[in-house]
Amino acid sequence: MSSELEPPEKKPKITGNNDLCIETIDKCIENITSSEKNLQPIINDEFHMPIQLVKVYVGHIRSAKDISRTILILNERIPLKELSHLKRVRCQCIILCPTTFLHNMSSIQEYIEIHALELKDVFDYFKEINVPLLPPKIVSQYNETKKIWPCNFHPNTYFEKLVSDHFFSSYEVKLHRQFMGVVFEIAKWYVMHRGTSSVVGGIFENVNVTVVVNPINNRIVTISYDYRHNHPMQHSAMLAIDNVAKTQNGGVWSTDYDNNLLPGLEQELIDYLKEKFSHFGIGMKKSKTDVQEEKSVNDLHGEGCGAKTDLHGEDCGHKTVVHGETKEKDGPYLCTGYYIYMLREPCVMCAMGLVHARAKRIFYCFNNSDTGALNSVVKLQTVASLNHHFEVFSGFL
Amino acid sequence: MVEFMKRALELASEALAAQEVPVGCVFTINENIVAESRNSVNITHNPTRHAEMNCIDTVLDYCKENNIDYANYFRNIDVYVTVEPCIMCAAALNILKVNQVIYGCPNDRFGGYTVLDVRKFYEPHYMLSGNLCADEAMALLKQFYKGVNPNAPESKAKKKPL
Ligand SMILES: [Zn+2]
Ligand SMILES: [Zn+2]
Repeated sequence: MSSELEPPEKKPKITGNNDLCIETIDKCIENITSSEKNLQPIINDEFHMPIQLVKVYVGHIRSAKDISRTILILNERIPLKELSHLKRVRCQCIILCPTTFLHNMSSIQEYIEIHALELKDVFDYFKEINVPLLPPKIVSQYNETKKIWPCNFHPNTYFEKLVSDHFFSSYEVKLHRQFMGVVFEIAKWYVMHRGTSSVVGGIFENVNVTVVVNPINNRIVTISYDYRHNHPMQHSAMLAIDNVAKTQNGGVWSTDYDNNLLPGLEQELIDYLKEKFSHFGIGMKKSKTDVQEEKSVNDLHGEGCGAKTDLHGEDCGHKTVVHGETKEKDGPYLCTGYYIYMLREPCVMCAMGLVHARAKRIFYCFNNSDTGALNSVVKLQTVASLNHHFEVFSGFL
Repeated sequence: MVEFMKRALELASEALAAQEVPVGCVFTINENIVAESRNSVNITHNPTRHAEMNCIDTVLDYCKENNIDYANYFRNIDVYVTVEPCIMCAAALNILKVNQVIYGCPNDRFGGYTVLDVRKFYEPHYMLSGNLCADEAMALLKQFYKGVNPNAPESKAKKKPL
């Protein structure tokens, strides 16, 4: 496990200095909560990669009047499923097939004669050219792609938003930054009261903190602090998942500080947070006043945060989008719909735990270069075969 | 080896009877069982309570009670699990540096080898082999997924593919 505790950047170590630690944390809190910089979605590399090319044969048509007939025949006899984003023709050049289709055949002429004999005299010459391998996902890729070869493109507003610098509204940015501030306040509390931390070049070591928020009402559902030194599986995200289970009458890990409101947390910390963040609801239990507050908050910010659940619309491919309606009926299920705020990028185990828990969005501050599974060693949110994909955001500092 | 997998399969059947995803797991040291468990996700409302994680906790408790250094203890553990460990469990078993993992059938949805080979992130990492009693393990899974996860809300349960 020790490898996971390494800080992202190896800088001279300053240990056992709580004052410095707290100073650093305070500076982070100041920067995080005062900045208005939008957060960065952490997305598939495909969005940023240069256009990938594939080599194909094109044939030049002798007579322009044969173009449409030729395309019809080719689409039937030599369909190009993988390249269906490309238009088959440019001027009088028609894409015949990727060069890999030829296998043992000696020439493209022979290939045409075998697959579409009636086209054997249609072309006056052939050549090999490179064309874009993948369909463009975003406008900027489309513009690059069509310079190389004409192609089809269906703009996707969610994708455009992902690559823009304004994924969140300024109200949302503020809110997310405040919750990240809570994460740091918890880290600070533990440093002050438990003195277990060290800070290296402003990057936290031996510490991770998780705050789980229900975005429907902006209540903090649970909080957890890393306990891995005593129990190698009790990374803060795993503890948070168990704490959420406790709010649903489940959970397995016993802690010294069980209480109804926030399982696993010391009352002293809860009081500290309640004093500091009186504007956030903390804990699952709702009093009547909380419900009313919530109502008025929603009225106030109807646009800002209320719109959050349907931001991405259908086209983002997320299956857990619609909540508001069904939620009441079903009751909370695992971390479905919840936002997870973490100090550091979760490791492979924790990130997959959060997939199992069906968390909706993960926000974290520092990369974890050794085992971080949302950006550093892998981006679990982009692994297509998994049955749940959360969105990931960073860029707080 | 087969006897340990047979025991893991019994535990998986137990899970099935309890309406949990039927995965069973046995930890051994020198051919002796030191922990055994099964999936308990639904009863605990904790989606990380896979058979392997339960076995890990059993071992950790044992080490704590007996003042044993768990880090050393895990290095000698062989893991028999009816289904290929998921990415999370694979990471956990690598964090703990267990000696080897032997699984029954592959896990196409979450597998810590099939979907994403987690071992490449950990050095050293455990030895891995599969296909021990795979058909029995798969048959149990099929039986489960014919039914519906009773704890998932309607809409989600329906989506569960095999
Ligand atoms: Zn972790
Ligand atoms: Zn697992």
